[in-house]
Amino acid sequence: MTSPLLQIRGLRTHFFTESGVAKAVDNVDLDVRQGEVLGLVGESGSGKSVTALSVLRLIPDPPGRIVTGDIRFQGRDLLSVDWHNIRQVRGKEISMIFQEPLTSLNPVFTIGRQVMEVILAHEPKTSREQARTQSIDILTEVGIPDPATRMNQYPHELSGGMRQRVMIAIALVLNPSLLIADEPTTALDVTIQAQILDLMLELKARRVGNAILLITHNLAVVAETCDRVAVMYGGKIQEVAPVRDLFHNPLHPYTRGLLTSLPRVDGHRATRLTTIPGAVPDIHNLPTGCKFSTRCTDRFEPCDNIEPQLIEAAPDHWVRCHLHE
Amino acid sequence: MANPDTILKVQDLNVRFPVFGGVIPRKTAEVRAVDGLSLTLHRGETIGLVGESGCGKTTVGRAIVNILRPMNYRVEITGHVLYYRENEVVDLASLGRAKMRSYRSDLQMVFQDPYSSLNPRMTIGAIIEEPLTIHTTQSKVERRERVRWLLDKVGLSPKHANRFPHEFSGGQRQRAGIARALATNPKIVIADEPVSALDVSVQAQVINLMQDIQQEFGLSYIFISHDLSVVRHISDRIFVMYLGNIVEAGLADDIYSRPKHPYSQMLLAAVPRPDPDTRRSRRVRIPEDLESTTPSRGAVDLPSALNKPSGCAFRTRCPIATQACADSVPPLEEHNGRQVACPYAM
Repeated sequence: MTSPLLQIRGLRTHFFTESGVAKAVDNVDLDVRQGEVLGLVGESGSGKSVTALSVLRLIPDPPGRIVTGDIRFQGRDLLSVDWHNIRQVRGKEISMIFQEPLTSLNPVFTIGRQVMEVILAHEPKTSREQARTQSIDILTEVGIPDPATRMNQYPHELSGGMRQRVMIAIALVLNPSLLIADEPTTALDVTIQAQILDLMLELKARRVGNAILLITHNLAVVAETCDRVAVMYGGKIQEVAPVRDLFHNPLHPYTRGLLTSLPRVDGHRATRLTTIPGAVPDIHNLPTGCKFSTRCTDRFEPCDNIEPQLIEAAPDHWVRCHLHE
Repeated sequence: MANPDTILKVQDLNVRFPVFGGVIPRKTAEVRAVDGLSLTLHRGETIGLVGESGCGKTTVGRAIVNILRPMNYRVEITGHVLYYRENEVVDLASLGRAKMRSYRSDLQMVFQDPYSSLNPRMTIGAIIEEPLTIHTTQSKVERRERVRWLLDKVGLSPKHANRFPHEFSGGQRQRAGIARALATNPKIVIADEPVSALDVSVQAQVINLMQDIQQEFGLSYIFISHDLSVVRHISDRIFVMYLGNIVEAGLADDIYSRPKHPYSQMLLAAVPRPDPDTRRSRRVRIPEDLESTTPSRGAVDLPSALNKPSGCAFRTRCPIATQACADSVPPLEEHNGRQVACPYAM
């Protein structure tokens, strides 16, 4: 197998706060392979966004710090590059889009200026005229009607869906090998969500070999877009599998709980939803053994004290659970 | 004419927010948030109000409980909100603030964001007790007893009464919000996106709690949400809204299995399914049909309630729109228990 595009090993990103150390990401191993869409799912506080921000070295320090770990992108060690060089990586080789396009775009600059800025910052030899043409091209590609006019408009003049298209344009204008999308459609209506997801997949198909790391809490979005899925809980990867294996044969009790607690829009309508008991544990006060042990219905002796290892239970299907050891 | 099962009947409701502009401010436009909407709610049932953001679903909920005027005194409201109390019928929309007060305990709301709808300086106990102080003549001891009982009903412990909202998780806060709504023994609960801010694993708990409480107290729910899967699960009947109007209404199972209005079809087709095997088979229809009417690949700016298209408001995004659709608003017509506002949908 060829080496992965992005390889994360033993990543620990902790936040040192007054109320203690929050182990937001604790020993995460994760690969993003060439050309795939990898879904990273989890609830709030599971560490999925912090994992992504660690890759781009965007963790606010203090209070946060990457304590240990190894992040390799195309074989290059991202944790040892200096500030100047990480800026060359951001936006050009790995780019990121966020949930709320209105807060990610600068309200006082035109759309055009914000798209051109990326080009001019990374490729200073480009003339303004070239950058402008390139910007109009990418806006056309992401499906923005009348892009030349839109170049002169401000973010507030665009609808939510259009703004997210602009964010995608900014992220893809330099053709990065990896796009990290953090809840890109959570703030959008379902009709617009479907369009944006289609657009992301369509653009990826045109750029052969490029990969997407899609961070979301929505399992249905994962089912529709991803090739592989990693499930996070309590700062750790709990299960990683190809999308069909994960949905048809979930191994971790947490994954199973998530899948059965979803109300369905088609098929059989259950009279009562199955629930996962309890609430997401406080990040400052995670259980010592398995992070899910406090809510797990399949818990037995070792779960409280011994953290299970992430093992390959079936080909390419990894799980962190004592039941499968 | 009134069906004994009917508890609430909204008739021809219009809500307009004027927009002021110019150097000497005067009315320059208006947002027609709700545009001639009618619906009925039966005793003990749940109706789901669905639609995209900006379609007016939240405004409908607020108009029913008559809190729009205190929020924006320039709002223009016409129409009727008939509430069938034991032996009387009142038009809530016609009541002023003082008269409304005696009906308020019968109609309560649960809000989306349990972080901003609970006062951070009050304890959970005080928050749940407040409506009792306002609406009942109970003594302090009785109220405290009722708060403990309510906390238990929503799955919190009586010791939580002395804690502040920030000490709770999102799910626990929403439970407290439900306890507050239940405090005055309401007949109707209007829940506006009550589980949208919650994590998936907690969302199912709160939905189950709402269903248990409905059973126990015989409540009628108006459940407002953009999440079509959640609405399908909890609702008996569905009202699909588009830019201030109902475009389709009927039994939940009917609408979800055979949506008739092109907008309902588009909305349901867009909902992602948690099944990796069906992903390619369904998407195709809507974007391709839309291509003929839109400049590029289905990327169409939504019309807003400020610049509503003439005739059928949905025609600018509709795959089967004709010239005639621009001329007049299609009425909501009933066929076999289903109401659809589209002459071509049958």
